[in-house]
Amino acid sequence: MYSGPVIDCDVHHARNTDAELIEYLSPGWRQYVTDRGPAGNVPLAVQDGLPNPHGFMRADTYPKGGGEPGSDYATMRDQLLAASDVRRVILTFGDDSHVAGHHNPYFASELARAMNDWSVERWLSQDRRLLSSIMVGSQLPDVAAAEVRRHAENPGMVQVMLVDNPFNRGFGHPVFHPIYAAAEETGRPVAIHGGAGGWANPPSTGGGSVSTYFETHVLWPQAIQTHLVSFIAHGVFEKYPRLRVVLVEGGSAWIPSLLWRFDTEYKGLRREVPWLKRLPSEYFASHVWVTTQPLEISPQKENVVELLRSMSLEDRLVYSSDYPHWDADEIDYLSTRLPSDWHRRIFFENACRLYGWKEEDLAPPREAVRESA
Amino acid sequence: MRVDVGPVSDFEDHRVRIVNAGDLEVGVLRWRDRFFAIHNRCPHQKGPVCLGIVSGRLGGAAPGSMEVDEETPVLACPWHGWEFELERGRALWDKSYAVKVLPVSIESGRVLLEVGRSRD
Repeated sequence: MYSGPVIDCDVHHARNTDAELIEYLSPGWRQYVTDRGPAGNVPLAVQDGLPNPHGFMRADTYPKGGGEPGSDYATMRDQLLAASDVRRVILTFGDDSHVAGHHNPYFASELARAMNDWSVERWLSQDRRLLSSIMVGSQLPDVAAAEVRRHAENPGMVQVMLVDNPFNRGFGHPVFHPIYAAAEETGRPVAIHGGAGGWANPPSTGGGSVSTYFETHVLWPQAIQTHLVSFIAHGVFEKYPRLRVVLVEGGSAWIPSLLWRFDTEYKGLRREVPWLKRLPSEYFASHVWVTTQPLEISPQKENVVELLRSMSLEDRLVYSSDYPHWDADEIDYLSTRLPSDWHRRIFFENACRLYGWKEEDLAPPREAVRESA
Repeated sequence: MRVDVGPVSDFEDHRVRIVNAGDLEVGVLRWRDRFFAIHNRCPHQKGPVCLGIVSGRLGGAAPGSMEVDEETPVLACPWHGWEFELERGRALWDKSYAVKVLPVSIESGRVLLEVGRSRD
């Protein structure tokens, strides 16, 4: 088992009520949302996903005092932070993360701004180990870029997160580039989180829409693959050479297969993308990281290990639990599936490289809780 | 061994002509006043590389841009489109992967290939 320091790169924090977020909206948008008489407020979260028959949350993560999983700091602290030597956690929002699935681009941008302020004030203030993603309404890329820059001086806002896709174009398309310019300028990686399919147009499954949560969950890697190929083919890493990308919750065992195919296709189709100067796999190896959860489970565990090793992914994988979701991967479990000489890299060191942290700067748990908490 | 493959006037500009040089089938390209000779066998799957398209190398200074370098002819194998520059025969994506090129010289208006020796 692994007992060293841990950085958890995907933890979903949530709000209990709409009122929590409404408080952070501007007066005008607050009136737009709330001034509806008996109709109640305008829905804040995009709600057209496929239902999980068991629910999306681990049943044991519902706070004892009531409320939604991921909504209570004390529960999260006891279940996640205190359970091991967790040095940093990157918060990635709950249903609100689908903000780019809203049809109204102006509302989405305002919601994203409010969510970020909510995250800073309600969460980052409680524990130094907690860090947040910057959510953006990518429907308006210039506004999204301004939102990224607004957090430039806050070291607790550590990455820009994209989930839903408002334009039916892979995330490498130039329409998104203002966001990447801001991410590179402010030194923030771009996190692409799986799971947009079913919540917003377009569905994240190639070939057609699916009918069950079972299908969409199996196929989550498809959208991530589309975005990865799009990023590289559009030359995003040539245009923004310091940009880093982390693929979240899209699996990892498929990466060698995709990159082998990608490199081979490049040899014959280079003239369509002559701005690329390196093989696709070389861009991947210097710009892209991947979270562990959900690690594919092969009947013989060495099969997955062999695949990951073939692309040196032991140096690109970063641990993620996905707490408090139903399919979370525990540290103890994951450490039985991966070679022990990979553990410290995957649970800790690789994330330090991804986010540009020095290991010695990450306080051990006993020093992390803020005095105000 | 030097092999005379004909007068310069037999070679059309920007076209590859297939000739026999010893035991080798060779494509000879005239690129304005320069000549290149390439073994007609792609290292990938042994396809007839010299039957592919020859053009100036396409480059892109930035994403979305296309520029032609007319000084650098590139041959794309007709089987899979793998591209090779012809000065040294190297693949555009891997300098260690190459088609075989032969030294060419022009003497008294004749095109001569050096067979049995690679260009570099």
